[in-house]
Amino acid sequence: MASEVSNTPTQRAVENLAWKLRRRQIVGSRATALETLLVLRHVISKSRFSNMEQLVTIIRGVGRRLVEAQPKEHSVGNTVRKVLHHIREEYHTATRGSAAASYSGFSISKFVLLGQPRKNTPLPKAESKGTLKENDPDDPDSFARSLKPVLMEAIQDVLDELETVYDNVSKNAQNHIHSDEIILTLGMSKTVEAFLISAAHHRNYTVMVLETAPSYGGRDMAQALSAAGISTFLVPDSSLYGLMSRVNKVILGAHAILANGGMFAITGSLLAATAAHAHSTPVVVCAGQFKLTPLWNLYHEYGALDFGDPSQVLGFEEGSLVDKVDVVNPFYDYVQPNLIDAFITNDGDHPPSSIYRLIKETYDDEDNEL
Amino acid sequence: MAPKASSGKEKLIDEEDEVLQAVILADSFDKRFRPLTTRKPRCLLPICNAPLLDWTFESLALAGVQEIFVICRSHAEQVKAAIRESKWSRPGSGIKIVPIMTAKETFSAGDAMRDVYTRGLVTSDFVLVMGDLVSNIRIDEVVRVHKERRRTNKDAIMTMVVKESGATHRTRAQGDSSVFVLDAETSECLHYEPVSAYPPTTMTRIPREVLEAHPEIDIRNDLIDCSIDVCSVEVPSLFQDNFDYEDIRRDFLHGVLTSDLLMKNIYCYVAKDGYAARVKDTKSYDSISKDILSRWTFPLVPDDNHPGGHVYQHTRGNKYLAADNSVALARTCKIGNNTLIGASTRILENVQISGSVIGRNCVIGAGSIIDGSYIFDGTVIGAQCVVKRSIIGAGVTIKEKTRIEKGCLLGDGVVVGPLAVLDNFERLSRRRDKTAGEEEEEDEDEDSDMEEIEANQEGASSMLGKDSNAIVWPRGPSEDDDDDDGIVNYKNQRLRQLGDDGSDLELSDAGSDSSDGESDESSEYDSSGEFRLTTETGTPLATPSLDVMHPPGTMQESEFRIEVAQSLERAFAEGHSVDNAAVELKTLRMASNVPLSRVREAVVAAIVEDIQIVDGALPQRKEISRVVGRWGALIDQIGGVDAVESVSALQMHCASSERFPLFGQILAELYQADIVEEDDIRAWYALPEAKGAGLVGGPTAENVKRCWAVGARMIQQFDEQESDSESE
Repeated sequence: MASEVSNTPTQRAVENLAWKLRRRQIVGSRATALETLLVLRHVISKSRFSNMEQLVTIIRGVGRRLVEAQPKEHSVGNTVRKVLHHIREEYHTATRGSAAASYSGFSISKFVLLGQPRKNTPLPKAESKGTLKENDPDDPDSFARSLKPVLMEAIQDVLDELETVYDNVSKNAQNHIHSDEIILTLGMSKTVEAFLISAAHHRNYTVMVLETAPSYGGRDMAQALSAAGISTFLVPDSSLYGLMSRVNKVILGAHAILANGGMFAITGSLLAATAAHAHSTPVVVCAGQFKLTPLWNLYHEYGALDFGDPSQVLGFEEGSLVDKVDVVNPFYDYVQPNLIDAFITNDGDHPPSSIYRLIKETYDDEDNEL
Repeated sequence: MAPKASSGKEKLIDEEDEVLQAVILADSFDKRFRPLTTRKPRCLLPICNAPLLDWTFESLALAGVQEIFVICRSHAEQVKAAIRESKWSRPGSGIKIVPIMTAKETFSAGDAMRDVYTRGLVTSDFVLVMGDLVSNIRIDEVVRVHKERRRTNKDAIMTMVVKESGATHRTRAQGDSSVFVLDAETSECLHYEPVSAYPPTTMTRIPREVLEAHPEIDIRNDLIDCSIDVCSVEVPSLFQDNFDYEDIRRDFLHGVLTSDLLMKNIYCYVAKDGYAARVKDTKSYDSISKDILSRWTFPLVPDDNHPGGHVYQHTRGNKYLAADNSVALARTCKIGNNTLIGASTRILENVQISGSVIGRNCVIGAGSIIDGSYIFDGTVIGAQCVVKRSIIGAGVTIKEKTRIEKGCLLGDGVVVGPLAVLDNFERLSRRRDKTAGEEEEEDEDEDSDMEEIEANQEGASSMLGKDSNAIVWPRGPSEDDDDDDGIVNYKNQRLRQLGDDGSDLELSDAGSDSSDGESDESSEYDSSGEFRLTTETGTPLATPSLDVMHPPGTMQESEFRIEVAQSLERAFAEGHSVDNAAVELKTLRMASNVPLSRVREAVVAAIVEDIQIVDGALPQRKEISRVVGRWGALIDQIGGVDAVESVSALQMHCASSERFPLFGQILAELYQADIVEEDDIRAWYALPEAKGAGLVGGPTAENVKRCWAVGARMIQQFDEQESDSESE
């Protein structure tokens, strides 16, 4: 780790978050992303650097520390990558003007949204060029001083994106849900909740929520939805297949979206997606862009590498069974890309097959390994 | 700036603005892990490749503890060094750890607590745990509950964390259960009784006062005592006041609960979620290792938050391999479920490993079979060895074709083999280097032990193989045990051994395969046929196991009776207040340890004897009413109101006294003074003893019967009065 980070308040902030991640005191992709971002902002504002490489090394060091602390919370790494990407972009804008901006003009998401690529890209921010001097021997802080406000702005952008993610995902909800449809969902996902509630402003439809054992997040979800005035049924997990023939659309949340277009999602998602596949029911995934992860599923075909404690499945008081039964309680399922029809993100709608492209746009290739 | 997901811990601190302190007793005060613990304290033994102390720190850190005092005695320097080098002393850990060296004379948890008191370490409510705890229970929640209770009840000095476990559970040690009597509503601990496995215990006694004061109680024998106590600052001072308290449960808890003078309450926190257990012995070492590997301790699991800071990769079937790709697995080796393999370990061809923990830098030779064993760092096992359910220390060399049967303990640095065969439950340690002066071996008593063992080594070397440097520890009951009941201890000890299921022992807490019910409670009902738990104050029942705890001591009782009589005489003569006399009696009772019923009998007798016999009905009645009016209240003040028993005592005393003719009048007077109610008299009247059942012949029996007849007349009067009032 770069020596600059070792000054105590900064390091303490990083270690503190690392501890919380390790102890699972912060869980959930959005919460971890937010915390990571706050720590990164703190690090950048406090650390000293005199050129771009130093800054990148510092952020990477912090990122590596956090990712090692909890490799299963993918959004930590994603946030670090995103910040690095933004920093480079700002740096390029500051040094070479519009050179970098034109690159993002042909975005896939915009391609889908706008219908055809446009030549005239939005004007880059008018930065006063030439003031940026790297490795100034007289004044080593000048680089940091001139760049920091821009960097803060970049981080604020990421922060804003995180904070508005629910609104942006549910912006087009009414285009996806039609009147008198029956929607099936499972688990407790804030994104899906916001999406369904937003659609309910315009459409009249029914939601079936699976209980989602063993966490039973579906119960909270059903409560939240019916409180918002949506006609909601809470159904047991076992009736999933029987109900599927009546369902018009399956809407799922995600924990992480992988580079091949598959995803990690709460246990039961794979079952729901497979049942939907058998009935040719569309499966739609609602997720923020910070869940895009430049990784593949390396564990095995069905599970994600995260297992909880067995007590949710088998009570600890079942003493005679505890010794004889191995209980596996995975948090997440791996859902293959061919079972998913579309991802609805805060950056437009995408098919699984174009996720790789989205990831390439969002992050820089050199950051895939932090 | 404040994120949404700020944990409850921070909120707690903001509210209370108080540092949460914890005290770890890092010494076990027993020798169950020897010879593994001859050169190393137990709290530094690795479990799942991280020292126990680190697991304990992590458990406390999860709860948001900020300041930890580690009380260490044996090998204190090692503990200190381990703390200094651990990640906890790095900045950013957020925890301040202070090792406290206590004197060599600290022999029990009680001594350690007295040390805590004299040093004045704790300033507010603190968490008291042992240095061998593995837990993921939200202790901060327990602390919150405790503090809330303290706000309304200043006498709630301690909250114990217990965990439900069911009738049989691998983590609930068989020889180490206890009966908790809890108030069903408040979970106040009303009575506690440790149950040792041997000799078999089938009864528990619950004081009658408990049943009187609490309408609904839970009697539980399925709780794992996690040894996590949230204590108030008074607790160390109580230890200081009672210098004979040693064990926190057996002495302190029992003492506080049975004391009439302290008036302190202790509560239990029955943890529904979470996991907590103590590595008390090799058996619990085994079960806790299994619990960690099967993730009951989540998020404190090897692949998530390993306290040693190692990184493990978790694969299907709860197999954990060090994640840095330094583990070398031969293509033909078989790694079974629930196995953990540390970094840089090499597993050679055709090795079979199942349900085991292998440390770092180990080598397992070709064709060896490791089953249910715990192998510490740096151990080399040769080819074709078999190791079953044993604990192998660090740096051990086991040469080829050695067989180690279940339950063996091999100390650090032992060399055995080749072709050695170790029987079940063999304990080996390294022979001391005679040439090198062992200055670091500070414990003389340990030294002498070693010498004694070394002296008895004839015939052992053939068993251990020709290259061995090991000495065999003696088996069976040790002769130099301080207690005379060494055999009993040994049998109990056996249950705490790894791999020993004690199937040939007759135990109090029989397993699921036994016929006499599942737990102590049910067998109590079975054996007595009725609810005999309330008979504490009645005639002593012949239960050998409990008589040990309450020696009958007829000598003591007669002495006590005389003392009570004298004390009351003094009180009558000098005209003490009723309160003062009651306190005096209470003290007497505590000093001579007699049941409440004896006190009652003595008091009733003394009052009756105080009544002067006067001629004429009217003056006699006046005399009775004077005495009863002055002293009658004392009967109820000695602790616990039990009018039925008072009447019985009165009857028995009158029957054998010259004041027998006064029985009816005294009873009537007691009734007038509201000491005895009508219902009580009816209840007494219905008792078989009141009719003289169980007494054979003699004038006493005759008198008892006549007393009963007096009672009959009285009840007749009651009935008449009632019918009168009804007819009106």
